[in-house]
Amino acid sequence: MTSIFEGTLIRLRAREPEDAPLLYQWFNDPEVTEHLAMRYPLSMKSEREFVESVSSPGYAHAGFAVETLAESRLIGGVDLINIRPECRCASLGIAIGDKSFWDGGYGTDTMRTACHFGFAMMNLHRIELEVYANNERARHVYEKVGFVLEGCRRQALYKYGRYQDVLVMSLLEGELRLDHRP
Amino acid sequence: MIPTRSSMEGRLVRLRAREPQDEAAFHVWFNDYAVTEFLAIRYPVSHLAERSMLDSEPALRHERAMFSVETLGDGVLIGNCELRVPGAENRCGNVGIAIGHTGYRDRGYGTDTMRTLSRFGFTMMNLHRIELTVDATNARARHVYRTVGFVEEGLLRDHRFISGAYRDTVVMSILRNEFQEDPL
Repeated sequence: MTSIFEGTLIRLRAREPEDAPLLYQWFNDPEVTEHLAMRYPLSMKSEREFVESVSSPGYAHAGFAVETLAESRLIGGVDLINIRPECRCASLGIAIGDKSFWDGGYGTDTMRTACHFGFAMMNLHRIELEVYANNERARHVYEKVGFVLEGCRRQALYKYGRYQDVLVMSLLEGELRLDHRP
Repeated sequence: MIPTRSSMEGRLVRLRAREPQDEAAFHVWFNDYAVTEFLAIRYPVSHLAERSMLDSEPALRHERAMFSVETLGDGVLIGNCELRVPGAENRCGNVGIAIGHTGYRDRGYGTDTMRTLSRFGFTMMNLHRIELTVDATNARARHVYRTVGFVEEGLLRDHRFISGAYRDTVVMSILRNEFQEDPL
């Protein structure tokens, strides 16, 4: 049996303090943060503190570093947060920070692996996320793995001098599509 | 659908959050060997310790939901109970319960408290399993748990040393699909 932490391209592992320099680089790159909630520059100090605060994944914050199976190269991160144990519902956040791994199926594989972990190991019933309306690439990935569009928070985001809609999507237990057809 | 009956109420009792003013009753019960013989408590409890426990008690949450038990009719404080959920992933709660007011024993108050607590655990905390351990010599409690639907699933031999002898501890549990609402 393959490891619960592994997909076909990537592996989830706990974040380590040594990851901070790469995260610092990614999350100060406007191309990476365009579709993320971040809007201010990050200091190396705050990035180090963040990594240390999330280096013990657990039910309260299941945060992972994403690395390639092939070369164990750190390419991004994924987090299941804001978990309400009574409702068994979590919010998901994901970022593939290494731009050379965009459009190669790594985001899709990360989503499948993290959601499978959430259902199979954390006993979640629902995983929800928000995606900015103009982020077509991410929406495509989320729909491919089974997320359903359930709503639109109109003009909920202000960035780059304009308002933008924020879409709400969710995946219920049993809806995750693990098949790897393109 | 919101149930017509309060989720905190059974036929005889109501569960509510504990308050600092419950201290006086708790102090009496948990210094009474007739109550503590079957509990984890074995040393005398001071007013100070009881007070500081209640004062520092955090708000009820999934990890630990503890209640005072009072009668529905006249609001007499008769005991307390709790569900602890050490790992949310397993959706398994551990019961602690004591009907400390000895005047309310053998009259269905313990059974009603267990039913109300279990119903809350399944329908409001979304638990899958509720488990407890009970002193094997505590026939009254074992009868109550069986009445509510708990199943005896194990025996921990010579598990507790109390009053000069070892006693066995029985492990019991109820699964969500086994729980029957009390027909009114």
